[in-house]
Amino acid sequence: MTHQNISIESKLLVFAIWSGIGVIGLLLVLEGFSRDSYFLGVAGTFSVLVALIAHVIVNAVYSRGFSVGEVALGLSSFGILVFAFLMSMLLGAASMADFYIGVTFFGVIALGFATYLVTRYGLRGAFSRFHVGAVGKSPATNLSEK
Amino acid sequence: MEPTNIILWLLLIGTAFAAVSFYWARVATVANAGTTSWFSAGHSLSPWISALLLAGISVSSWFILGTATLISVDGFVHSYLLQAGVLLALPGILFFKRAWFIAQRYRVSSQAELFRLYYKSDVLVFVVLAVSMLFAIGFSSLQLRAISDLIAQVTGGQVSAFAAGSALTVLLFSYVVIGGMRAVGYLGVIQTVCLVSASVVLTILILVDAGLYDTINAKLFMLGQQEGGGQYFEIAGVIQFVPGLGRGAFYGHATTATTNFTSAYALLGIASGPVALKVILSTKSTRGIAAGQTWVLAAFFGALIVLFIAGIGAAGLTSDAHKVTPFLTGLARNSPWLAAWVILGLAAGMQAIAGLSLLVASETLTRHVWKPYFSSDLSRRQTVLLTRICVVILAVTSALLAFLAPITTSLIGAFALPASAQLAVPMLGLCWFGWMTRGAVIAGVAFGLLGAFVTDAAGVSFLSYLGLDVPWGRYPWTLHAAAWGLVANVVVTLLVSAVTQKVKQNKFKIQIREFIAQELVVHEVSGLKSYAWAAGLAWMFLAVGPGLIFGTYAFVVEDFWILGFPSLWGWAMLFWLLGVTFVWFLAYKMQMASHIDLDIHAFEPPATLKPETSAAESLRLRNTLITLMVLGAIFALTVWGFGDAG
Repeated sequence: MTHQNISIESKLLVFAIWSGIGVIGLLLVLEGFSRDSYFLGVAGTFSVLVALIAHVIVNAVYSRGFSVGEVALGLSSFGILVFAFLMSMLLGAASMADFYIGVTFFGVIALGFATYLVTRYGLRGAFSRFHVGAVGKSPATNLSEK
Repeated sequence: MEPTNIILWLLLIGTAFAAVSFYWARVATVANAGTTSWFSAGHSLSPWISALLLAGISVSSWFILGTATLISVDGFVHSYLLQAGVLLALPGILFFKRAWFIAQRYRVSSQAELFRLYYKSDVLVFVVLAVSMLFAIGFSSLQLRAISDLIAQVTGGQVSAFAAGSALTVLLFSYVVIGGMRAVGYLGVIQTVCLVSASVVLTILILVDAGLYDTINAKLFMLGQQEGGGQYFEIAGVIQFVPGLGRGAFYGHATTATTNFTSAYALLGIASGPVALKVILSTKSTRGIAAGQTWVLAAFFGALIVLFIAGIGAAGLTSDAHKVTPFLTGLARNSPWLAAWVILGLAAGMQAIAGLSLLVASETLTRHVWKPYFSSDLSRRQTVLLTRICVVILAVTSALLAFLAPITTSLIGAFALPASAQLAVPMLGLCWFGWMTRGAVIAGVAFGLLGAFVTDAAGVSFLSYLGLDVPWGRYPWTLHAAAWGLVANVVVTLLVSAVTQKVKQNKFKIQIREFIAQELVVHEVSGLKSYAWAAGLAWMFLAVGPGLIFGTYAFVVEDFWILGFPSLWGWAMLFWLLGVTFVWFLAYKMQMASHIDLDIHAFEPPATLKPETSAAESLRLRNTLITLMVLGAIFALTVWGFGDAG
């Protein structure tokens, strides 16, 4: 199998995982916010976590790490969602159920990602992923593993 | 909430889906490296991609919508639909592995090329073209119309069906044109996953809203106790010798055990036809065939159908609000994001089969008909360009037909499966029965198509349009058109084969039979053949055949369902499990679909000088056009003189 095919197939699997499981998770979290249902929020969080774990498994099977694009998309989406959640809390537009759903969702995702980094690179290595190094050696570009 | 919300969510999710489609079309184009592997992905699709794509196109959205709708209207009498996972997998077990090896040996990539090579038959190439056209224009546009109507309904008419259909069509032909077979393969995976995801979400939502299985089953039981309610849970006898649908009354209802048995043959049409074969012949090895057919299609999709889709149908049977369209309309008001996701999943399922059908029909038209007969000097680049133009034309035609002539679309679409099922006989001849002669197979297919056509709604309507009112309706004697065709097909093939055994065979046929005997048969298990035959016949008889009569009462004691749900549903679950075991037995134990490592040497044709054919091709084109015009004139005169327009 050529390197190009391996790369395409791993990306395809990642797309399929997030299309099939991840999106449902996000929609369930949204449904939880809409209905003030903590159960639905947790179900959605669980789905997103499953998608994240499946993504990590695919990475391991194909001996690759998160690509720069994936990290950028993941972190920016996470940041925007956290910002939207904080704004809605501050403006008083959210209920207590919404608060718990948000805390659970963002907490689990952040914890999951941190766990991944620690188990993958060790405590110090995980920190080094984000610590700004010399010019031309941006940590983001080093995220892909051997 | 306002319908505007669902429109916004449809736009948001639809735009994301379009972005994903274009991304993968671009990836496919880069991997294609120009036009060299546009038609068949360089025979390099991974087995798992093919397995998912095959399952996606076999089931597609027509199954989710169609099966759930049929159960919610007619009850559990369409048992063959509940066995679809197994039925759709069986032809793949029979044909895919051998067809792949033959194609690999002779470096061909489509069913039309296989038939031309083995049978030396132009007629079969035209039949393959006709079948692929039926899928591209009829079968796909039928689904396009259904999805577009659904979008129009859930948006309260603010998005017209035509606008939705147009957007879906543009997206469809765009990625096919850009990325060819590779894009169809890559996107097919994502589309299949989206279809499954949407089906699961829809099922859970409906079941939760309807009170889960216990409540639904209690309501089903109440329905069965009502006067006339038994018809939803009882097969209408083994067979009824009535003229057919649209021609008089039935005893009880129209779905007999024979209807189920013969409708099952129509399902064989998908994997026996050019669309599914294209996927297999674009795959790089046989490694995924057994797993794909057994675990993905028969087991996973079988479970999805018999447990989930049947559940949606059951909920719809107990209450109109839980039928798919009304439920989605209500969902769009309360949870527009979930409604939009379900609709997108169904649209993705439609696009999986439509994209592949468009590619196969266009390729057959340009590469296997236009180029060899009328323009043999076309370069690879020109052929791809012409095929891309054909894809656009066919997609637009398909969309226009869906919206301007919906009845014709449904007639053409419904005929696709019976017509495609007729190709099972030439495939049997190619893969298994070398004694089937060229003349026999051609005659068989011709009679088979005729038999299927005149007993299907398309044929009955067409003949009526010409002024010939046949005394039977659709599916006479409650036998599906696919079976009428197959009976004629098999009988003629057997008879003509018997009297043409001494006719000289072409050299490729002899070589292929030697190749199968020397390389493939030695790896298969012959000692279990009698068990396979016995198990197959028993399963067909009991799961979808006359044995369904037992299924009606198997789990009923003193008018009480001992399983807590309809006996036919329990019967279907039992035989789905046995069916998966049967498919596994054939695929792995009989080694009919399991992978073998063979070092295949590609056939190298002897170098020959290409003769100058442009003058002959011009003459052929002129004669063809004149013939078509004469036939058109005769058709118009017949309609004017005798038909409905007269």
